[in-house]
Amino acid sequence: MEQLQQLSGPIVVTLMLLFFGGSLYMSIRISRKRENADGYMTGGGKIGYGISAASMTATWIWASSMYASATSGFTYGISGPIHYGLWGALMILLIYPFGRRIRQVAPRAHTIAEVMFARHGRSSQLMLAGSNVLGSVISLTSNLIAGGALIDMLSPFTFTQGIIAIAAGVLLYTLWSGFRASVLTDFAQVVAMLGAVVIIIPVVFFAAGGPSLFETGAHNLTPQQQDFFSSDAFFNQGAPYIAAVLAYAIGNQTIAQRLFAVREDLIKKTFVTATVGYGATIIGVGMLGVLALYAGIQPLNDDVNNLIPQLAANYLPPVLLCVFFVMIIGSLSSTADADLTALASIMMADIYGQNIAGKRRANPQTMIWVGRITMIVATAAGLFFASSQFNILDLLVFVGALWGALVFPVISSFYWNRVTNLAFSAAVIAGLACFLPVRFEWIDLSGGIGIASDVLATIGIGVVLGLMAFGFFGRRVALVVGTVATLAAAPFAIGFLHTYPVLSGSLVAYAASTIVCVALTMMNTTRRFDFALIKERTGDFDTRDGGADGTDASAGAGIAGSSGPAGVDDRLEFANDGKDRA
Amino acid sequence: MTALLTLYVLIWPVIVLGVLAVIVRAFVKEWRQAKREGRSII
Repeated sequence: MEQLQQLSGPIVVTLMLLFFGGSLYMSIRISRKRENADGYMTGGGKIGYGISAASMTATWIWASSMYASATSGFTYGISGPIHYGLWGALMILLIYPFGRRIRQVAPRAHTIAEVMFARHGRSSQLMLAGSNVLGSVISLTSNLIAGGALIDMLSPFTFTQGIIAIAAGVLLYTLWSGFRASVLTDFAQVVAMLGAVVIIIPVVFFAAGGPSLFETGAHNLTPQQQDFFSSDAFFNQGAPYIAAVLAYAIGNQTIAQRLFAVREDLIKKTFVTATVGYGATIIGVGMLGVLALYAGIQPLNDDVNNLIPQLAANYLPPVLLCVFFVMIIGSLSSTADADLTALASIMMADIYGQNIAGKRRANPQTMIWVGRITMIVATAAGLFFASSQFNILDLLVFVGALWGALVFPVISSFYWNRVTNLAFSAAVIAGLACFLPVRFEWIDLSGGIGIASDVLATIGIGVVLGLMAFGFFGRRVALVVGTVATLAAAPFAIGFLHTYPVLSGSLVAYAASTIVCVALTMMNTTRRFDFALIKERTGDFDTRDGGADGTDASAGAGIAGSSGPAGVDDRLEFANDGKDRA
Repeated sequence: MTALLTLYVLIWPVIVLGVLAVIVRAFVKEWRQAKREGRSII
């Protein structure tokens, strides 16, 4: 086995102490003896552009995305990183118009599940909250695994020692101040990460041979890998990712949390900056995979996840290897702390705040401890899953599909006043029921069933493109785009798409959930939802002022000042689960 | 072709540098403003 250059034990310990110690110092600087519950979840909804753009960028750049982009470059050639990074970046941009609408109808909410509770009721809320929890735990686990593997490969320490050190470090600086600590440390982490990318990519490029590498190494690439418009790259990497784009944007609480945190007039700037920052960083790191392909490098132990650390160890001098180490630790920590705060806010707002105590009776101090305990439990769960041999990829695919089934019902619930709780819930279940057998090939997709799957998947193409168009151009354009896309794709897709089960599964989930949601909604001819009610039913849990100067201004009562349905206990008001409140 | 591929690889760190500059500038501006007003930046 090839022996890689390693960092010594004391250097790794020093880097970890500097990184997590620095993050802890920042967290302590903004901590308050008595944290505000809303600040703990969303920072009070008034965060400025610099911090929010940094936080959005840092949260979405996670270690797995860096590894995956490089893998895509190595596998599919020069277009590979584009088919990973560009669509990932688009994911952030696409939620922007929906994000504006969500903030408009629920300016003081904390989670999208909380808004679904106000819009539909408990079953819709719990479906969304459940998928968010699952996604965040998986993301946390994945980041711990990436960190443990890095430490195992580049230092004398073991995988287990690595995941414990990282989990403890992230928990330590996030636990007391929650979201506020997460977004502030994101700034330092994004500076470290982006700064490292700026240095490392050119250094590796020139160390690997520079421009001449494209001539001497061209024979290592197949014609498809040399083609910027490679169909292999599109169908195996790009297209399934496009289908997942909306799902991840809608289903991931870390994005929603930042959406509710940033000052409303800064949403657009924040999302555009994060889109460019994420895209350039991830595509840039993906170029390392392309360079490895040209250089004829074989991944260590045939594991493509080893590719980036391997290149770093081969081509970077020790000082830059330390910079690389910090880049990866920064990328996984910024996402892991976002996952912890996302889980905390779901347990605080959706479980304790709305389902156990009831909004008007929720005690802010108890809420904060619910959040802190959630973080500790989630960290323990992440460590358990990371040390067990769970197949993270399968779990990610499952959650991605669950989110795919949620996209149309969630988006339509914010715009269409006829959508009912039944339509929402039945649509999600139908989407999942169609996804599972197609994605995991539980049924033979040859013959008639394959054609039926292709027809649904083709409709799914129209749904995805229609929803993208809807966000920016409205309903009419969306209908035209969706219809034209479906009709244009049909001759090529039907009889063909089922041979790509990952892509088909996601598209089928979109189509089935959309068809069921639209059909059941059209059957509702009498009830209309007043969107103004959402603003009344969501809002602050904590009226205590955290103090502009960072001190406790008061220790006010724990009853939220903002409005639930007037004069009615929320638990009673919302107890009619399954019925719509128009 | 070689020049184009070189540009294709090296353009991304340049864009990243631009984004980094924008974020740092905005953060420093907000930090100074918060300091002037005697409040926490977050």
